[in-house]
Amino acid sequence: MRWKRRKRSHKAEKVLERLDEKLNRQMVGSLLACVHCGMCTDACHYVLANPGDTTYAPAYKADRIRRLFKRHKDWTGRIFPWWVKAGSVFTDEDLEELRDIIFGKCTNCRRCSLNCPMGVDYATFNRMARGLLVSVGIMPEGVAVVSKDQWEIGNQMGVLKEDYLETLEWMAEELQAELEDPTVAIPIDKMDCDVVYSINPREVKYDPRTIADAAKIFHIAGENWTMPSEGWDMTNFGLFSGDDELGGAVARRLYEKVIELRGKKLVISECGHGYRSTRCEAPNWGKFDVPFEMESSVITMLRYIKEGRIKVDKTRNTRPVTFHDSCNNARSCGLFEEPRELLNIVCTDVREMYPNRAENYCCTGGGGAMSMSEYTPLRLKSAKIKADQLKDTGAEIVVTSCHNCVDGLTDLIRHYKLGMEVTQLVNLVANALVIEKAGVAAEQEDEVEVKGGEG
Amino acid sequence: MTEEKRINQSTLRLIKDDVTDIDIDAFVFYAQPNLALGAGFGTAISTRGGASIQKELDEIASPIATGDAVVSSAGKLKAKYIIHAVGPRFQEEDTEDKLRTTMRSALKRAEENGFERIAFPAMGVGFYGIPLDLCARVMIEAIKDHLEGETGIKEVIICVLDSREYKPFQSQFAKVEYEDGN
Ligand code: SF4
Ligand code: SF4
Repeated sequence: MRWKRRKRSHKAEKVLERLDEKLNRQMVGSLLACVHCGMCTDACHYVLANPGDTTYAPAYKADRIRRLFKRHKDWTGRIFPWWVKAGSVFTDEDLEELRDIIFGKCTNCRRCSLNCPMGVDYATFNRMARGLLVSVGIMPEGVAVVSKDQWEIGNQMGVLKEDYLETLEWMAEELQAELEDPTVAIPIDKMDCDVVYSINPREVKYDPRTIADAAKIFHIAGENWTMPSEGWDMTNFGLFSGDDELGGAVARRLYEKVIELRGKKLVISECGHGYRSTRCEAPNWGKFDVPFEMESSVITMLRYIKEGRIKVDKTRNTRPVTFHDSCNNARSCGLFEEPRELLNIVCTDVREMYPNRAENYCCTGGGGAMSMSEYTPLRLKSAKIKADQLKDTGAEIVVTSCHNCVDGLTDLIRHYKLGMEVTQLVNLVANALVIEKAGVAAEQEDEVEVKGGEG
Repeated sequence: MTEEKRINQSTLRLIKDDVTDIDIDAFVFYAQPNLALGAGFGTAISTRGGASIQKELDEIASPIATGDAVVSSAGKLKAKYIIHAVGPRFQEEDTEDKLRTTMRSALKRAEENGFERIAFPAMGVGFYGIPLDLCARVMIEAIKDHLEGETGIKEVIICVLDSREYKPFQSQFAKVEYEDGN
């Protein structure tokens, strides 16, 4: 009998073709290095929430991608495929099965990467595999919607330009009323500013108070600042979908706008994946040499306090708070001490969550999971770990420096009936601001009030 | 940012703008076979144009074959009509031929409906992954071929979103052997 080559679907062919383009040294290192020691297993919140089910283990999930590499790119897999567990994809159904693993069973949080003695960064090649599937149109519906909005409207939430500008105007008016100062403004497209402030579209759509709070801080600090009329979205769904083209295009729009405005520094509002993408990853995706400084607004606010540009009164935030580290901020960008320093300056009762900083657990809404409604039950089940962590602190409010985490946390708090509020540092700093009128420290409000998050 | 060419009696222009928000007889929307407006430009069309557009599309028999195009009114948008053209997606086989057919169908619908000023986005780039260089070449070739024949179309605008999209179209414009219109 003659050996017959199994036919592949067009999409499967294209996925394998592109695999070649996407491999880099870091990825190949991770694909080769796993010794299946299992030390990463208990690092994953999916494993902890599904004891006994080995299909959630990072190494098992990684092997579903690794087998393609072994079969098509590594000589061992070509010669001894059964020995090194090499395999391939042939049908669209094979690709769909892969989709449910790489999108549905991993939030790309990188906690397993940190716990691997061999330096395997599964999340990096999980992201790569997502990109391969997206390139042939195989992705969760929510990923398609958000990606298309960001490609064509310019932001993840399909916020139209007129709605964005109207919201800024509305927030400026609110601020004028609050500060009883008609000169307070949210400047748009002002040239030669020291700070260009970029935000997450969620702020326009669901949480405009964060924009007003930031504007208030900039105003009191006497900052020469502006917001861009276009390219204002600093989030980047390319990080989640694995689409480097999208990642590069989105960031390029923002970078080019800052250059057009001759801005000196780009300040990125509190958003983990936005910060990681815009500041760390996107210059590579977009092959862009960024000529200006980039800073998280957490560091900006801390700097204003240290430089004496704003004064705060922590007794305005007395309810017990805990801090949730966004995976992208803490694990991928090392931004975990500054938010704590700031939190301790503006709040009286800060309680640590364990484990924390780079070892913190994902809010379970990371990696774009909030947009993938088909996996919601799975996500909320895995959120049990985070829910227990939150409950143990005894805090009433969970603070995070990430809009995505605000949504992830709000959802799990509701699901596990924790009765906690979610807020961000910008809200707490704005609430603690001491505003001096004609040299006299004027009390803003008698009551201490901290705003809750939105879902 | 703008380029312009005179092709016989018509003008071909390249601008950077939002194709769903310009004053024009009709613009082309890179549609799905089931004609659901969906996300991206679809969000802009349904938000700015109102629910009547999707309602009108729901009356049209679908799925629409790849390469074909249909026309709807444009509700409250600045444009009067929308040409919904279904192009190739996600590394589909024969992308180039299918994109060329899609362009021809869109231009044909414009002629049939007497549209004199029409606008195209960069067809299928970005989300649907059509390579930018291929898109720019095929689009400009198809438009040039069409305007060289008998036509009632006076102006075709290619409306791109950013500098990344602008550059390959600008290079293709430079290769069009007609007078600059600027
Ligand atoms: S810890 Fe590293 S080497 Fe061990 S199973 Fe996990 S990925 Fe493989
Ligand atoms: S990246 Fe996070 S969610 Fe994914 S397997 Fe590793 S620990 Fe689990």
